[in-house]
Amino acid sequence: MSEGVKLSIKLFIITAVAALALGITHAVTEEPIRLQNEQVSLEARKAVLPDAEEFVRVDLSEYKDEYPNVVEAYQGKAGEDTVGYVFKVISKGYGGDVELFVGIDAREDKVKNVNIISHNETPGLGAKAAGPDFLGQYSGKPVGSPLTVVRGSATQDTQVEAITGATITSKAVTEGVNSAAELYGRLLKDGGAER
Amino acid sequence: MKAVKVFFNGVLNENPTFRMVLGMCPTLALTTAAINGIGMGLATTFVLVGSNLVISLLKNFVPQKIRIPAFVVVIATFVTVVSMIMQAFLPELNKSLGIYIPLIVVNCIILARAESFASKNSVLLSIIDGLGMGIGFTLALLLLGSIREIVGAGTWFGMPVFSDGFSPAVIMILPPGGFITLGLVLGLLNKLTGRAE
Repeated sequence: MSEGVKLSIKLFIITAVAALALGITHAVTEEPIRLQNEQVSLEARKAVLPDAEEFVRVDLSEYKDEYPNVVEAYQGKAGEDTVGYVFKVISKGYGGDVELFVGIDAREDKVKNVNIISHNETPGLGAKAAGPDFLGQYSGKPVGSPLTVVRGSATQDTQVEAITGATITSKAVTEGVNSAAELYGRLLKDGGAER
Repeated sequence: MKAVKVFFNGVLNENPTFRMVLGMCPTLALTTAAINGIGMGLATTFVLVGSNLVISLLKNFVPQKIRIPAFVVVIATFVTVVSMIMQAFLPELNKSLGIYIPLIVVNCIILARAESFASKNSVLLSIIDGLGMGIGFTLALLLLGSIREIVGAGTWFGMPVFSDGFSPAVIMILPPGGFITLGLVLGLLNKLTGRAE
């Protein structure tokens, strides 16, 4: 047997063993990983709508063209009652996609909580958007009229104070919240949502 | 003793970051905060020990001519398996270290140690070498991360270190700050150890 053939066979054995090891690990871990991810996603929804006990996925295929940035929606229930809705929104920030969860309280028609799941904004500037100082501003905002971003102090109920030096990020998050609020209104009107 | 020498070789004399200048991509990208340094350092140490162990076990099976592709396959497999197991069964550890694991695949320290140490030494010494190199890498990242976090964000491990009047130099936690810090620290270390001409 020539040396080339020998080397090829040895390399083949190594890659075959590696592929086998990966295949076995994948088979064993696939289900637990899926459960873990579901758990994480459930906790993220609970964080923005704490009153809900379970979440029912809402079909958004009708609204995909109108609200392309809203990727998932859930109806939050406590027993028989609908307490609110959770929307997963992807907004364009300064450094890339900003993924946020928006919880809307259906009993009061107000934003409950907003949480940023992942972002790529500038550390020290846009990244501050993920902190409670900025996101806390959205809690309790009415969903009827769109929110606007202002520099300096907010004087009206529909205004959100921009983060200094990160207006683009502030606007991206606010637009995301507005899309969620608008879609919530549409779902109510079309009968896809209930209070 | 040889084991002690091998261990401190990784921490000091051949420190992967400051002496070998290896693994610069994760070093520059991740050292925006002290906690990232610890996370990446520990995850790398873990993979380094594991890959050194496997490579030194395989050293007689792998022919010299195809050792590089063989090592790359072994390391990539090992990292992927570790990452999948962590995601599935160690969610808490995965939350803190998980984001660093995929970055280790692009870390050349692992391949460098496999090639220059584990493929020529015994299993025990290879494990010790992995530990030493990993700890040296962790300490280096911790130092860089601390400097950048303190100057660039005014905090250390998330705790404020200055009074309210301090306005942090944001550039230090941006990519240019990584180069600046690394350059200054490397220069200073060379000066202190008499390496500079």
